Amino acid sequence: MIRLLLIAATVLTLSGLVFAESWPQFRGPNATGVSQDQNLPTEWSQTTGLTWKAALPGRGVSSPVVVGDRVFVTCSSGTRDDKLHVLCFDAHTGRQLWHRTLKATGSTVAHRKTCMAANTPVADATGVYALFACGDCAAFDNDGTLRWYRSLVGDYPGITNQVGMAASPVLIGDRLIVPMDNAGESFLAALDTKYGKNVWKVERPREINWVTPLVRTVGTTTEILLDGPTGLTAYDATTGQKRWSSQLTRGSIPTGVLDGQKLYMPIGGVTVFQLTATGVEEKPLLTAKEVRPGMPSPLLYRGKLFAANDNGIVMCADAKTGKTLYTERLKGAFSASPVAGDGKVYFLNETGICTVVDATAETFEILAVNELGEETLGTPAIAHSRLYIRTDKTLYAIGK
Amino acid sequence: MQARKTRLGLAAAIVLTATFAPAADDDTRRAIATLQAVTKEGRGNEDAAPAWKTLVDQGIAALFPALEAFDEQNPTATNWLRTAVDAIAEKHRAAGHKLPAAALEEFVKNTRHAPSARRHAYELLVEQDATAKDRLLPSCLNDPSPDLRREAIAQKLERLERSARPSIQADLEKLFTYARDKDQVDAIAKKIEDHGGQVRISEHFGFVTHVWLIGPFDSTGGKGFAQAYPPEKARDTTGSFQGKNGPVAWAPFATTDKYGKFDLNELLGKHKDAVAYALAVIQTAKEQPCEIRVTSPTAIKIFLNGQKLLAHEEYHHGAAFDAYIGRGTLQPGENVVVLKVCQNNQTQSWAQAWFFQMRICDATGGPLPLEQKVMIDGRTKFVPLGFLAPQEKKK
Repeated sequence: MIRLLLIAATVLTLSGLVFAESWPQFRGPNATGVSQDQNLPTEWSQTTGLTWKAALPGRGVSSPVVVGDRVFVTCSSGTRDDKLHVLCFDAHTGRQLWHRTLKATGSTVAHRKTCMAANTPVADATGVYALFACGDCAAFDNDGTLRWYRSLVGDYPGITNQVGMAASPVLIGDRLIVPMDNAGESFLAALDTKYGKNVWKVERPREINWVTPLVRTVGTTTEILLDGPTGLTAYDATTGQKRWSSQLTRGSIPTGVLDGQKLYMPIGGVTVFQLTATGVEEKPLLTAKEVRPGMPSPLLYRGKLFAANDNGIVMCADAKTGKTLYTERLKGAFSASPVAGDGKVYFLNETGICTVVDATAETFEILAVNELGEETLGTPAIAHSRLYIRTDKTLYAIGK
Repeated sequence: MQARKTRLGLAAAIVLTATFAPAADDDTRRAIATLQAVTKEGRGNEDAAPAWKTLVDQGIAALFPALEAFDEQNPTATNWLRTAVDAIAEKHRAAGHKLPAAALEEFVKNTRHAPSARRHAYELLVEQDATAKDRLLPSCLNDPSPDLRREAIAQKLERLERSARPSIQADLEKLFTYARDKDQVDAIAKKIEDHGGQVRISEHFGFVTHVWLIGPFDSTGGKGFAQAYPPEKARDTTGSFQGKNGPVAWAPFATTDKYGKFDLNELLGKHKDAVAYALAVIQTAKEQPCEIRVTSPTAIKIFLNGQKLLAHEEYHHGAAFDAYIGRGTLQPGENVVVLKVCQNNQTQSWAQAWFFQMRICDATGGPLPLEQKVMIDGRTKFVPLGFLAPQEKKK
């Protein structure tokens, strides 16, 4: 019964039915970075083309997430980066609905580029689930009521990653899937969304890893796919049991894209694998060798593969053949993953410059270059025909 | 007149505190007790969620009882309480009311409360009344709250630099004694030196500057972290043991680095898959709690008088200052601190570092009146922590 409920929840989630008008998790409703929204904005600045903007109390590498009329965002602040923030805004007016704070209970040591608000939260119709890089995890109802809180480092003191963690949680029905790959006590866990207790918890390799889990349905089973430095592993979402693993992929930073049973993985460029019921076909379908993502995850949109890297290079290839369509150098480095919708691809660099590219063109066609003039490390969200971009200081709702 | 004003102000604050911080009612007490009872892996969360709502529903009357219940030893419960305080304050303001500023100010001043609670109260207050900073921070230079202390020192430093006084040397030196964060310590030290003064950074931080080292022991495949070699239980520096490449024995070493760095590659030779131990003898006149803070790019374990205080297994992901903190209690007389420092087999150039810095301090990171045993010219004696021998300074 639990298995069937999880499958139903997964199907609804993946079909976007539950989260219409939403961008509930890292890279949106299908974890692909693609929105079905139309009339998305092309041009904006700090003062023009906005529906609203709101001040934020701290930095964040995390994306904003949107469900219905609410936008949730996490931040961290303080000399020790130990003040953690979860904020909720009215998606249409920018009015701050509530703001809750936590104090980090785990180590806040991290590479200076990142911070404790690195993992993107995940939201559903009932509220938001925020995981921070220091292992603090909390669920808030839509009105800001604290539903539960866990200090994962308090529970499992062996957790450690002095570079900083950033893998994001995902929701499968009434379970919050928490990836906790690190240099110490590593695990993947399912927490019940009502009380935050472990439904299951399985050991993972002691390797730092920033990859966010993907979810697919195979027959009557909902599978969690988690790539990492030691390979790709599939877990049964009901029990946490390992179903299969593959050494064909060994990612650690960007997250792949799941399109049906095709898996686009950032390895050797972007390599496309055919998934079977019990694993991965050994021979890749193709490799787009020149589409080499850096930290940002790749994007599959309208038959093309897009990627950006830390050297400011953006790349595009035909997703059916792997043939490179273009490679262009833009200003600055990229941390945010590209997102797309309405025939446009948004490449947001680390200094607030967003280059909007025509996704339908076979050549590199810039539609606009927009500057916010603030640090932008988090991937944008798309909902309500708007782009939601968080900087180190401000949350912008861009568009009408 | 001024004294009368002060008395009146104090009386008003007491009245306000009494108004806004009444004795907690039974519902509030029960709710707080429920939140404090949450333990590991979410045990108690079922009861905590309704208790949180009960607490928040009490409104502003529950603000101070919730703040008073913050406990640095129970960070999980404190985070439940912290979000409740946020919600209470937010709802109070949304209803068009101001937070009880005078009572919050009194709460901040009262160092009996948990440092994190006082800091949270301070932030609530300053959000409403930015002028509170000027009233509160001057008395927070030696505050138990690291954030209040830091902000107070920053404010004082800025004011000193803007002052037209001919000499601020004495003020800088006083400020130096209060500073705990390394960046502030360094910045103030530089200003003192720029003014012709001298500071003893190694003594300020309480670095162990004289140790006995032994190693390498075998850590092939990382096994050495878990393997308890004989020095792990050492209470003195006698004996020789089978090391990775043959017999090894304790030998005394001193650092000349003002930040107390011991480079094991230089002192013991470059080894991979290896374990080394450092032993320090610390003398104190009385029993006192202490923090043993370690900086290292590799895995470490900290022992005090044979008791393990901390174990941390991570390699070459940075060496943040004070990243590892072991908390223990020093006994009157001599105490033996043993630090285990492991090295793995990574081959990258940036993964060859093998060093440590270790300091012993109070909970704020400040110096304790401790002495360390040193070996100078073949004779042992006790000197303050952080002591750098004159001849070593010249190196």
